[in-house]
Amino acid sequence: MRDESFIARLDDLGRLVLPGMILLFFVILTLAPLRVPYVSDALPLLPALVVFQFSLATPERLPGPFLLAMGVLLDLLLGGPGAPVGVSALGFVLIRAAVVANRRYLVGVPFLFQWIGFCLLEWMFMVLVWGFTALWTWTAIDPMPAMVQYAVVIVIYPLLAPILARVRPRDPLNVPEPARGTARPGETTA
Amino acid sequence: MAIRDDFEVATQQLRTILQRFALVFLVLAAFAAMLIGKADTILVENARVLALDLATPALEAIARPVAVANRAIADLREFASLREENARLREENSRLLAWQTAARRLENENNRLRELANFREGPEASFITARVVGDSVSAYVRGALLNVGRKAGVTPGQAVVTGEGLAGRIAEVGDNSARVLFVTDVNSRLPVQVERTRERAILAGNNSPLLRLTLLQSVAGIQPGDRIVTSGSGGSFPVGIPIGEVVQGGSEGTIRVRPFTDFSRLEFVRVVDYGVTGLVNTGPPAGSASPAQKAH
Repeated sequence: MRDESFIARLDDLGRLVLPGMILLFFVILTLAPLRVPYVSDALPLLPALVVFQFSLATPERLPGPFLLAMGVLLDLLLGGPGAPVGVSALGFVLIRAAVVANRRYLVGVPFLFQWIGFCLLEWMFMVLVWGFTALWTWTAIDPMPAMVQYAVVIVIYPLLAPILARVRPRDPLNVPEPARGTARPGETTA
Repeated sequence: MAIRDDFEVATQQLRTILQRFALVFLVLAAFAAMLIGKADTILVENARVLALDLATPALEAIARPVAVANRAIADLREFASLREENARLREENSRLLAWQTAARRLENENNRLRELANFREGPEASFITARVVGDSVSAYVRGALLNVGRKAGVTPGQAVVTGEGLAGRIAEVGDNSARVLFVTDVNSRLPVQVERTRERAILAGNNSPLLRLTLLQSVAGIQPGDRIVTSGSGGSFPVGIPIGEVVQGGSEGTIRVRPFTDFSRLEFVRVVDYGVTGLVNTGPPAGSASPAQKAH
């Protein structure tokens, strides 16, 4: 049964790095020339969504220093002369801390509450990034595009969050509760 | 034994402290990154270029399927209006043929007059064609990533054009990647002139789809529909690249210009190597632009 244990270890490793890989994917996807109206506007806020969702499910798999690195990478890639490098990192770290501190109100509650929590935190994230960017470049930045981004990402959340929630560990003590997904009691997924 | 216990207790305490202050450390680190970015712009510039060079291959891999999908969507949309489009194009074609005749005649005449006046033309431009592999569009930036870089001869400050007109200028250059800053970006300021009146002005972006024309001596002469072209002041851009047309303004203070380039459909662009980019210090202050100076 050595093979199985090897596969099991590979499986564990995969689960360990999967949230990080997904975050990296969304950070790079930010730059993808996707020309779908509205969706492409929301791309820069999607990494924050991923951070929120995984902080909810498996915060230990997105350690703070990793979030810091991803945030800096996102800021470097998004560019913009004079834009602060590290403001997304600050936002990510704060989102994670806020979710971890309020797990009581966010985990195992109806999806609507998670959505409201996401709306609040994403709003703070957006205001933080907008505020620092305006401060750093010392220009009055039109807040309208940021608002549009925010509105789109709020609508996208219910579509994306259940998919990301599937990445949670499947050990017997942490079976996803039936209320979270569409699964009925007794139903199993591959 | 007691020492070992003490040691364990101490490490335990240290760990608790670290855990308790982990957030503070992380927040401080983020602020430190921002401050370093503010203090050492060259370092950040290099880091940006490095990140771009690393991300470009991944983006290039997804750019092609994305382009195919985008084109399929556009095709579907155009299919609905095929008949009208065809009629419009036929009409436009006949009009353009008439213009072509006029242009040929004028070109010949122009050449002859230049010979007579011993007119020395500016440096000749050459083009580098590039694929847009990434959109650098967010609420704060309007730009794109190209799959060409220093190795292909791209340097900061060069003009980026499409078939319709000017798209922007090169802001950052990596080995095999470059970032374009669109004319609509809030950091974009261009010396331009009004084609009809030859009046000079500055065209500024503000992250919205329309551009703002400022510093005009007399606002009154501008009419909606006037074409705005590059003036070549500062020597970084060729003269006369169309940028957009005036859509509103004239009597009131602000004049809005709609760019000709459709930024939502960019797939290929051309980087104009005009050979004099070193004159204008646009990109990072590093001496990356000077070797590209060519004497024509």
